[in-house]
Amino acid sequence: MSGGKFLSALGSAGFAMILLGVLLAANLLLNPVRFQPAGWGTLMGLAAPLIGAAAASTPVILAGRGGIDISVGPLMGFINAVVIQVLFLNAGIASPLVIVPAALLLGAAVGAVNGFMATVVRIQPIVATLGTYLVLAGVTLTILPAPIGPAPGWLKAMAGPISIVPLAAIFLFWWAIRQTPYYDQLMAVGSDDRAAFTAGVPVGKVRFIAYVITGILAAVAGLMLTALIGSADPNIGANYTLIAIAAAALGGVSLAGGRGGLAGAAIGAIVIFLLQSLLTAFNVSTYVLQIAYGTILVLAVMLTAVQDRLAARRAVR
Amino acid sequence: MRADRSWLSGTNGRVAGAFLVALMLHLAGTLLIPGYSAPFAIRAILVLAALLAVASIGQTLVVILGGIDLSIPFVIGFANVVAAQLYGQGWNFGLVCLLVAVLALGIGALNGLISRGLNIHPLIVTLGIGMIVQGLVLLWTKGFPSGSAPQAVSSFVSIGGSVGPLPVPWLVPCLVVLTAMVVVVLARTPYGRRLYALGSNPGAAPLALIDPVRMWVATYAASAFFAAVAGVLLLGFTGSAYGDVGQPYLFQTIAAVVVGGAALVGGRGSYLGTVAGALVLTEINTLLIGLGFQPAAVQAALGLIIVLLVSLYGRERHVSTTI
Repeated sequence: MSGGKFLSALGSAGFAMILLGVLLAANLLLNPVRFQPAGWGTLMGLAAPLIGAAAASTPVILAGRGGIDISVGPLMGFINAVVIQVLFLNAGIASPLVIVPAALLLGAAVGAVNGFMATVVRIQPIVATLGTYLVLAGVTLTILPAPIGPAPGWLKAMAGPISIVPLAAIFLFWWAIRQTPYYDQLMAVGSDDRAAFTAGVPVGKVRFIAYVITGILAAVAGLMLTALIGSADPNIGANYTLIAIAAAALGGVSLAGGRGGLAGAAIGAIVIFLLQSLLTAFNVSTYVLQIAYGTILVLAVMLTAVQDRLAARRAVR
Repeated sequence: MRADRSWLSGTNGRVAGAFLVALMLHLAGTLLIPGYSAPFAIRAILVLAALLAVASIGQTLVVILGGIDLSIPFVIGFANVVAAQLYGQGWNFGLVCLLVAVLALGIGALNGLISRGLNIHPLIVTLGIGMIVQGLVLLWTKGFPSGSAPQAVSSFVSIGGSVGPLPVPWLVPCLVVLTAMVVVVLARTPYGRRLYALGSNPGAAPLALIDPVRMWVATYAASAFFAAVAGVLLLGFTGSAYGDVGQPYLFQTIAAVVVGGAALVGGRGSYLGTVAGALVLTEINTLLIGLGFQPAAVQAALGLIIVLLVSLYGRERHVSTTI
């Protein structure tokens, strides 16, 4: 991993970086108590599930041709319900050595199902994952009709500063993938699948693996969500889906595929988190909050697009 | 010419398939559940399917164009609440409808303008605009919408209504006429031609002097307009205003369009197919609830069935055949 590669990854996040700086400064000025350095660990824990969800949404989007996984949110909720209700409360298993592999395996399995539907059966990804979305949300409500707690102690401890551990794990995992030829194949398939196919890239296989990676990352995000809320809640997961995709887009991940990365998605997620906390700090009504939130989301993607266009014009000259 | 014909038969095949599935589901329901084919039950299915079909008109057009509209549920809620609120304050209902329609057209046009003008994925734009619209409505009503629908709208959609000798409310024959109109517009007007052309090849269509921005603005405006119509109709159906009334329609409109055989990559799809899709979804829902499933289980089963149906006749081409 060269510095240049890293910088170019940040560059594609472009406008989101500027927004990140501005929002961070605004938060520090207007909300100094919450944003004092000692509180940064807690803040990271609060942002972690969204960062994880945005990172999880990214690989399938990178794979292109309408690739998208709207089941990321419900999968997080499903992992949350299974870990607390089935493993911890019913089976009495508290050991991270069982819970973490079980969650990752479940995530990979759901990702594999999505990948099978999208690449072998060739159902349009948004429809295939909509199916998974409905099934997972339904099953989650069936095994867990109402919120329940608590979570195992080690998992709850991951809510604060220690949330750096799962976040670091996600980015180490992605960094490792970037070292392999698979990463180049993924970006090639995402930019132009027909060209990649004629060049001998196994397009279907590459996309399938992207869905599995997304499933595994969504499972990590689900564990972080469980750590944050310290309990199980059947209705919380689905909310993450669209906002995670918006975060990825804000961070420069092109929904057409082949452009962007996990770092950008994470920056987009942090921007959305900072935006939420800034708006909450103003103590305005939730309605105004929602208007401001939507406006800034639209303005941000618009400015990103304008900036891209200017950059493209400069490149032509 | 030959390719054109096989494409047509392909689309017609999908539409016929979707109608066939709806019919089979209905037969299964009649065999499994006593009273499933009772006149009242059939009317209820028709009314629910018609409401979904109205809400899905816009999604169909937008999907043919190669886009997607996530603002439909928010616009439905917006029209529902605004119409009830203003009518409750003593406004003339015709004036209320006009205002709601104009505002909805504006919202949709903005969706199309931003998405196409700046080349941003419509998923993000329509979601953001939808959230703004919902926030504004909540702010205006302080979260507690009031008011109700005029009697005329309620009886227009009432399950117990009738049209002369026909035992269905006016909504159903009106939808049949509306369907015919949409089908004619898509097949026989320059707008319809341009819609399919732009959807199947966004790069080549501008060379044939099709203005993409204008098409997107017009189509998204139409989408929001029909969402608003659905919102007002739902006001008549439920009797009182409710801001989240449109939420189930977020994914249901997409599902109806896809079950009806449209491709989300654009250039393919028909409104007749969407009507069939709306019927299929309503039949599945009614059947599963009739069989005594919990709402959560109904949702899970709906997910499975959508995937199953689409895998039967909605499969995409392999990349090797696109070269």
